[in-house]
Amino acid sequence: METSSYNPFQVAQSQFDKVAALLELDEGVRALLREPMREYQFTIPVRMDDGRVEVFKGFRVQHNDARGPAKGGIRFHPMETIDTVRALAMWMTWKCAVVDIPLGGGKGGVICDPHHLSQHEQERICRGWVRQIARNVGPLSDVPAPDVMTNGQHMLWMLDEYEMISGEHYPGFITGKPVGMGGSLGRTEATGFGVIYVLREALKVLGLSPEKTTASVQGFGNVAQHAVQLYTQLGGTVVAVSCWDQADKTSYTFRRKSGVNLEELRAISDKFGGIDKNRARDLGYEQLPGEAWLEQDVDILIPAALENQINRGNVQKLSKRVKIIAEGANGPTTPEADEVLRQRNIFVLPDFLTNAGGVTCSYFEQVQCNTNYFWEKEEVLKRLDSKMTSAFSAVHDLACRQKLYMREAAYVIAISRVAQAVRLRGWA
Amino acid sequence: MSNSRQADDRFRILRERAKELDCLYQVEELLADDARSLPDIFRDIIATLPLGWQYPKLCRARIVCHDEVYEPPDYVHTQWSDAVPIEEDGRAIGCVEVSYIREVPASDEGVFLEKERKLLRTIADRIGQTVFHRKLEKQLREWQSAQREPAANNHHQWMVIVDLLRRTDEKLYLQISRKMLYHLFWSGVKESRQVLNTFGSDFSVGNAESIADGNRPSQKQSRESILEVSDRVFAIAARHLSDAEILACLHKWIQENKLSFLIKAVDSGDTPLDQIIDALLQYRTLAGSEGGLAPSTEKWLLVSLIRRFFSDHADFINLAKRHLQVSDFFDLAPRIIYPAGSNGRLGGKSTGLFLAQQVLRRAAAREPLLQDIKTPRTWYLTADCLTEFLRYNDLGDVNEQKYKDLEQIRVEYPNIIQLFKHARFPADISKGLSLALDEFGEHPIIVRSSSLLEDRIGSGFYGKYRSLFLANQGTKQERLEALQDAIAEIYASVFGPDPILYRAEHGLLDFHEEMGIMIQEVVGTRVGPYVLPVFSGVAFSSNEFRWSPRLKRDDGLVRMVPGLGTRAVDRVSDDYPILISPGQPGLRVNVSPEEIRHYSPSRVDVINLETRSFETIPLDRLLREHGHEIPNLHHLVSVYNQGNIASTSGIELDVTRDELVVTFEGLVTRTPFIQRMRAILLTLRKELETSVDIEFASDGQTFYLLQCRPQYTADEVAPSVIPQDIPDRQILFTANRFISNGRVPDISHVVYVSPEGYARQTSRDALVDIGRAVGRLNALLPKRRFILMGPGRWGSRGDIRQGVQVTYSDISNTAVLIEIARRKGAYAPELSFGTHFFQDMVEAGIRYIPLYPDESGVVFNEHLLNSAPNMLAGMLPEYEHLSDVLRVIDVPGCKDGRILRILMNADLGRAIGFLAEPAVPSEVPPVEVKPVEARSEDFWRWRQRMAEQLALRLDPRRFGVRALYLIGSTANATAGPGSDIDLLVHFQGNQAQREALLLWLEGWSLSLAEQNYLRTGYASDRLLDVHLVTDADIAARTSYAVKINAVIDAAIPLPLGGAVEK
Repeated sequence: METSSYNPFQVAQSQFDKVAALLELDEGVRALLREPMREYQFTIPVRMDDGRVEVFKGFRVQHNDARGPAKGGIRFHPMETIDTVRALAMWMTWKCAVVDIPLGGGKGGVICDPHHLSQHEQERICRGWVRQIARNVGPLSDVPAPDVMTNGQHMLWMLDEYEMISGEHYPGFITGKPVGMGGSLGRTEATGFGVIYVLREALKVLGLSPEKTTASVQGFGNVAQHAVQLYTQLGGTVVAVSCWDQADKTSYTFRRKSGVNLEELRAISDKFGGIDKNRARDLGYEQLPGEAWLEQDVDILIPAALENQINRGNVQKLSKRVKIIAEGANGPTTPEADEVLRQRNIFVLPDFLTNAGGVTCSYFEQVQCNTNYFWEKEEVLKRLDSKMTSAFSAVHDLACRQKLYMREAAYVIAISRVAQAVRLRGWA
Repeated sequence: MSNSRQADDRFRILRERAKELDCLYQVEELLADDARSLPDIFRDIIATLPLGWQYPKLCRARIVCHDEVYEPPDYVHTQWSDAVPIEEDGRAIGCVEVSYIREVPASDEGVFLEKERKLLRTIADRIGQTVFHRKLEKQLREWQSAQREPAANNHHQWMVIVDLLRRTDEKLYLQISRKMLYHLFWSGVKESRQVLNTFGSDFSVGNAESIADGNRPSQKQSRESILEVSDRVFAIAARHLSDAEILACLHKWIQENKLSFLIKAVDSGDTPLDQIIDALLQYRTLAGSEGGLAPSTEKWLLVSLIRRFFSDHADFINLAKRHLQVSDFFDLAPRIIYPAGSNGRLGGKSTGLFLAQQVLRRAAAREPLLQDIKTPRTWYLTADCLTEFLRYNDLGDVNEQKYKDLEQIRVEYPNIIQLFKHARFPADISKGLSLALDEFGEHPIIVRSSSLLEDRIGSGFYGKYRSLFLANQGTKQERLEALQDAIAEIYASVFGPDPILYRAEHGLLDFHEEMGIMIQEVVGTRVGPYVLPVFSGVAFSSNEFRWSPRLKRDDGLVRMVPGLGTRAVDRVSDDYPILISPGQPGLRVNVSPEEIRHYSPSRVDVINLETRSFETIPLDRLLREHGHEIPNLHHLVSVYNQGNIASTSGIELDVTRDELVVTFEGLVTRTPFIQRMRAILLTLRKELETSVDIEFASDGQTFYLLQCRPQYTADEVAPSVIPQDIPDRQILFTANRFISNGRVPDISHVVYVSPEGYARQTSRDALVDIGRAVGRLNALLPKRRFILMGPGRWGSRGDIRQGVQVTYSDISNTAVLIEIARRKGAYAPELSFGTHFFQDMVEAGIRYIPLYPDESGVVFNEHLLNSAPNMLAGMLPEYEHLSDVLRVIDVPGCKDGRILRILMNADLGRAIGFLAEPAVPSEVPPVEVKPVEARSEDFWRWRQRMAEQLALRLDPRRFGVRALYLIGSTANATAGPGSDIDLLVHFQGNQAQREALLLWLEGWSLSLAEQNYLRTGYASDRLLDVHLVTDADIAARTSYAVKINAVIDAAIPLPLGGAVEK
């Protein structure tokens, strides 16, 4: 593969190098953390429905497990490369560390396109993957989870195969399972609520009272809806949400300056998070172009939909009033736009911290599975609040102390926690 | 005479006539009662008869028959009596007599009026006929029972029959003796050969002296000698065959003779349809379902029926006659609505469904999966009902509509709809519709068009006319009005702009369009206030939209939805049907729970009985409110819960709480639905010898076939001819893997992401920008006139390096998405096949082509793309920095007005994109010439096909031709390799036209002779034998003109190209 082209692992390494320099990490620690500790690459022979045998290539990368069992998803992707898996495993290490859960980072996958595979074939791939790696993963060593093109069903097949091999029940081997089959309650709410727990803490340190703030939200999917729900409960006013319109194949922003009503909008939205524009107009919402959500005169922007939404092209359109951007989506801000936000002194709550509610809930799932006792939803959410709150304060304290941009501070704190564990264990 | 006296007289006369008539009717009624014995009937007749005479109280009647006397006790023969003999087949067997017991006043006409005498003669006649009929029937019954019990005493019984026939029906006697003679001859009875020689038959080959001299006419046999010969035949039979065998033969031949009326009726082109239908129903009664005809005769009858109701296209007849039986028509015939004088054609849709239904029914004997497939109850309006409707309402001038400007057509169309809706239906059609409604009751119905154009092979004339759903609720009058309104609207659609434009584009404008109508019961079940099928959809035996390279075309494709199939048939931009490939049902388009949920139907088409209308309603509302009423709902839906999706059992389903997603998972995995669908598609494709497209529905219990036709081959998805002579420098690309069929409209712009340029990018932002720029271009460039070409997996959510990051909205206007797989070292990247928005692309008709430029034999002219001026900076200045990787090329602008043409042919597995002159709409009707194979039995078929082709190309106005017929060996299907083609031309032109016509035909004749030589090796100067007849010939029925509308060996009319004035 050409080295000149964009390589995600190199990007991840150089990001690490910058932070390592700030932390003045030892050469040994740096060398260890720059690379995954263990990589497994193996073949999975699968009997296809038509009787042929096809051989798939499987991966598992355990970047670092100094803080606890490696944790990370399993991706089914036809163009999977080891570099992508390495980069993602490293990011998982930092993500678990930033919310301070006792897990390391891992990632795995199979080169395949589920679109060209039947359910039976996918099941055989899942079971084949576990057979090949069963000795090197487990509830106490490496815990997989769903990722691109995998879901709860795949996790159950893998769990079943693992338990078949081990002869005992280990629901904590894998997360992302359906509720009732070892899954945790509260997962639907986790990411959206996590965003608002972090936002709430940010408002506190900025000395703003939620009741006096307004927000504009991009998206009306699961994360956005739960974010709107909790923010409104805190007394805030969401004046605009944007969403995809399936019929018009474009997105619109729906604005009501007096504040949107979540239940009202839910009642007129379809399963894709699309809002019925005619009925919205009847309810007093203005229908604006899709990008209008970020031009609103509000205190808070919550991008909770797609990547690269705040970019060089539109960052200048942000209202002067915007004080906080809470990144609910993954990578909603491009580096160029990020630079502008930093100069404008906008308080950015980085995705890496802000949407870590999901991974935290996965951790809770594992904890519940290992103790074989499942919590009520309230308990899950209460513990989530506590985790997110402390994670924010740690990052914010560091940012204040060291005059760091929040995104940098989050990386610094994550990497320093991992480095500390490595040192304490005497690995480097 | 005073006036009052005159009036009295007239009144008296009228009263007498009424009495006479009444008497006749009563006698008729008595005679018609098959259940009673003749003596009983006679006793009633003598009681009834006097009522018809002037002085009933004084009148007595008696009947003498076969020496039995039937008379009242007080009967006396007086001088005031009148008697008429009763004749049974010309032989007196008794008499009918009336007599006044005492004198009555006599008029000028005598004691009995002339009318009374006539009445008596009529009654005697009828009695004679009835006696004869009963005797025959009795004989028949005896033969039948004799046949059933061969051991029974039937010795010499056949002789009685032969004797009876000889005396009563000489014609039939001769016919049967002739058949017996042939039978004996073929049974190897030597004596029969001598008898044959007596007839001078050709059968006696080898007996030299019996062959008629070539130069001398053979002797005509006298009637007596023929009768004598016939007697000899039976004498021989008696010596050589068993009594049982002779009896069986006689039975069969007499039965065949009885059925010949039907064949005569059907085969003669101008028998009114009602007579055919009557004859068919009579045949049904006579023959029962086992059929009473010799196989060859039955085939003849069958072909005649196929021609009459469906098509006289030779290929179609060949196909249909293999699958149909005469008895199949029994159920069809009573449900046809037609005007007087109808030719009976039902149109393509009706034809296709009827044929498919019979094919599947027969195949069900071998394949249990095909059992219990039903078709909904259907009534048919013949295509000429439209003509009759226009004539009846004096609307004939709308026929000129098609020759107007499109704009004018558009403007006038709403007016035409209203005009039609206010028109009235002729009484016989109205009556038929009323009968249909009686049968349907208050069940919803769909009114479908069934165009004659649809059965023309190779011209996919689909979906251009309307289909209308009717709730069919209310009083009979309301329902009839609604039905007539719907039919009128469908009739009006023939004159609508879209069908006319389509016909103009396909050279079919002059084709005389008549449109049949199908009225079908809507398959469905009552759910709340709605009626809807539990599921329905459309299936194709050839899958032209493959979402995985593992799928083969033959795996087929099903598009299905809950509710009425309209949402599966049409592409609805904001909703999705479920796609399944029956050959590999495990390979689904949508895999992750989110995809499955996203691309699932969200609305459903229903008939609302309360509002009496067709409605589209949100599916979740239907499921929440009435889900528990839907039979086997758990076969339709899966439950989505927190990122997981699973089908459940019916008992676990909670329609009020669960989030239900239509997946048909239960149907696919727990029922034989998919296997059955596969069996249907494979069977139909094999038996109908073409890929088919079917519509189906289920009421939750039964599977219904609603429609079957050759698979949709609109130009854009028909296999394209891949030209071989394009110079290399004009080829942009060729592709040879995973190619579907079709052609793409002329392309004016290419948006090209250079694979090398893309791989060179080091910043993620630049890669993201490329996707965004593509999205902007998508909005700016002319819709469906540009293509996107670029590396790797477009729209992939994985690593952005592996494909341009776009969503569907960024590519929604492109005509084609081309993914380029450049080899990297030893491996070529796997392409996406558009899976990320596959279903969006299918619904929008966007084509997908994967390109493997490094494979041998593949052309990819990058130079052409890299050397053309790049418009990107001009169009999107903000993305100028991407100019080295993203190129926008104005093809006509830089290639001298030429456009990019993309042709795809799945059969060859090839696609090509090349520079070409923009297309000019073709003015010549595309006449399909199919490659033909030389097979021995094909000589007449080939000739017939050629004659049809010739007729299609013949311009009747130019040559003054009224009609063209096929006669002789080709028409009789007996042509051999050296036979010529006999054409009969009904000519109405002048001398110049005559010469031009003959010259034109001469050309055909020469070239057909040459073709025939190449096919068969039989050389001849000419192949056509042309006979011209004029109006005068036809009027005088001279020469060949007698063949036109003849009863036997009639000339077969050939459809002419261009409209012929009727």
